[in-house]
Amino acid sequence: MTIQTSARSARQGETARVSQATRRIKKPASELWLRNTTVGVIMASLVLLLLIPIGIAFVGSFHDWNPLNGRFDFTGIDNYAELFADPTFWRASSNTLVFGILAIAGRVLLGLAIAYALFSKLSRWRTFFRTIFYLPTVMPLVAVAFLWTLMYNPQFGAINTLFGLDVNWLFDQRFSLLAIVIMTIWKDFGFAVILFLAGLYAIPEDVLEAASVDGASAWRTFWHIILPLLRPMLFFIVITSMIGYLQAFVQVLVMTNGGPGTSTQLISFMIYDQAFVKYNFGYASAIAFILLIITALLTAASWRMNQSALDAPRRRRFTHRSKEKTS
Amino acid sequence: MSRASRRVRITVAIGAAAALSMSLTSCASSSGGVEDTEPDKGLPVAGVNVTYDPNTLVNDGKPIELDWWAWTNVEQFQAIADAYREIHPNVVINVVNQPWEDYWTKLPLELQSGGGPALFNVHNSQHENLIANMEPYDIDPADLDADYAGAASHLIDGETHYIDLGLMSGAIYYNTDMWEAAGLTDADIPTTWDELREVAKALTIREGDQLRQAGFNFNSGGHTMQAGLAYQLGQNLFEADGTTPAIDNAANLEVINRFVDIYADGSGDANFGAAGTDSFGQGLSAMTYAWGWFSGTLTNDYPDLNWSAFQTPVPQAGETPYALDRYNGESTFGINANADDAEKEVAQDFLRYFLTDAESMKELSLIFSVFPAYKPIADDPVFAENPALAAFGEIDRYIWPGPIPATFETTTATMWEEILFNGVAPEDALAAAQATLEKDLSGKDFVSSESLYPFFSGN
Repeated sequence: MTIQTSARSARQGETARVSQATRRIKKPASELWLRNTTVGVIMASLVLLLLIPIGIAFVGSFHDWNPLNGRFDFTGIDNYAELFADPTFWRASSNTLVFGILAIAGRVLLGLAIAYALFSKLSRWRTFFRTIFYLPTVMPLVAVAFLWTLMYNPQFGAINTLFGLDVNWLFDQRFSLLAIVIMTIWKDFGFAVILFLAGLYAIPEDVLEAASVDGASAWRTFWHIILPLLRPMLFFIVITSMIGYLQAFVQVLVMTNGGPGTSTQLISFMIYDQAFVKYNFGYASAIAFILLIITALLTAASWRMNQSALDAPRRRRFTHRSKEKTS
Repeated sequence: MSRASRRVRITVAIGAAAALSMSLTSCASSSGGVEDTEPDKGLPVAGVNVTYDPNTLVNDGKPIELDWWAWTNVEQFQAIADAYREIHPNVVINVVNQPWEDYWTKLPLELQSGGGPALFNVHNSQHENLIANMEPYDIDPADLDADYAGAASHLIDGETHYIDLGLMSGAIYYNTDMWEAAGLTDADIPTTWDELREVAKALTIREGDQLRQAGFNFNSGGHTMQAGLAYQLGQNLFEADGTTPAIDNAANLEVINRFVDIYADGSGDANFGAAGTDSFGQGLSAMTYAWGWFSGTLTNDYPDLNWSAFQTPVPQAGETPYALDRYNGESTFGINANADDAEKEVAQDFLRYFLTDAESMKELSLIFSVFPAYKPIADDPVFAENPALAAFGEIDRYIWPGPIPATFETTTATMWEEILFNGVAPEDALAAAQATLEKDLSGKDFVSSESLYPFFSGN
């Protein structure tokens, strides 16, 4: 490079820097004020409404704590020790696991099946059906839970009447948790339908046409092309469902109150019972933190599984190309 | 628009808003009472042992305003406050409705922060969260006990912070139409549990295997009976120390088996309706056990149902049990210990007025379906006309265990569900409930009031 060239480059660089600086300086003060205020408000609300309460609850989990009468006595790890020795906690944990698995599977399978049916060229009145299937999602959960409680009534409920059954759904420990799962799936599958439909409509048409031209059957098209392309949406629905169902509470409170016995007691209901019925806020906080850890671990594991699944084709392509280069 | 003119407009708007809010505030404060200059009202002194002399000046006759929180029956309490204002026109008491669902978080938090209303209605199940901020009654406890049943059981270190304005307990409600259809008369009203078991069979109707009418339905009500009926067998709810729960024992097992046997007879079914009280109201069950509040529910929700009530049966005919059942009280209001001296003075004066107002006590007792704790009105024939109240009988034979924590109700409710629906043996269910109660009560300040029962004897 000649001296002239390098000098010209330096001048160009300087000019660029000056222009950049000038562009920065030229932002109006009101915009900066708005930006800083907005971010400040968001940060302040996060700190006040999230971090501080979580911190207080964490500290409280090491105390015998009732904020309604001012009791706040340090007990060390007694709450956690008591928790892990409490058979009700283990029962609630297994109930939560079963509830989560069944509700997620039901929501995903039903949502995907209906979305795929609506996506099919054979379906008519798609808008009408989309509306119908989405209606339960917009109904208040409390109202839906009350409605289903009536439907499950062993004397006059619609379920027993329509199907000729004689089952006390909400008071029979064989069926009570399943009854809540069914209601939850009915309430939430519509949202999965909408999300899966959006994912289906995002699939490039030429991919599907190519599969059709190549003679792929409907099942092979779905399994090898559509489902892999729906993976991000599927992952999103599973993760959000998992986070939501680990905290499921309203339906248990309304329909069974955790009963019969502890057959439908979930971890989140246990937190409510300890905090707002027995006023053991310290113990409830300990349960809440265990739930937080479980939720975080499951979410991280799911992310890792999804990432591994996404990386697997790339690793196969990389390995294939590496083999091509070396051969 | 120039920046300067915009600033002027904003300033004027803020100033106007401030002036408006101040004027509204002053309007609110000026809606208070007028000055009272006449100490002699020419009214008689009310009450028997606890007395109230209205011929005084309260707060030196100067206007003062108090808030009174209530979760229900706001109109009735406001009417009492307004009647007091007619005597003392300088005193305005505003009854503020706070819904039950929010009441027991809002009130304790307000009191703890040093604020809160000067007067607030109390439920003894929330004793633990309120007592630290309650001002003692400025009334001789001996006078209170002389006029109000059970007042002595509320003494804490010689002081009273609230008492019961009425007592509630359980009774057996029965459908009089079903009773008559089964060919039963008043002479068939059972006085022992064995007799009730036979009557329940007579009232049961089945079509093949299908139960159409339950003779006795206690679904979702087992825990209510459990907390009181072991007393009939001489078993207290707590050990002698007053803090250790005592439910895993022969007496409680006998109570459980008694009702399990009624269902085993076919006179009822755990799957026949979620709640015995609902099933009774819907005309599907002939008898159920319920507390006094149920008469109000029947009047409001099932006005066409013909019903009556009789006293809870006892184990042995002709024998007076240790106690017929437990009772719980509908409480009088509490006075905020954080209130200033002027407010406390007015509150204490209003308290005396409230406690000696026989007509208001009678009205509140009927509204809440409680037996009046105020002894001067206990013999009023109006209470005998309410079957649920008439069923109590001798009120002195009901025992108050104290403001027992909510875990008793929830734990015994879970226990009954385990027995009825999950096939757990009663002995095992009792043992599990005992363990849960001991865990939940450890470290709590609760002490039973059973020792204050006039006929108390240890387990």
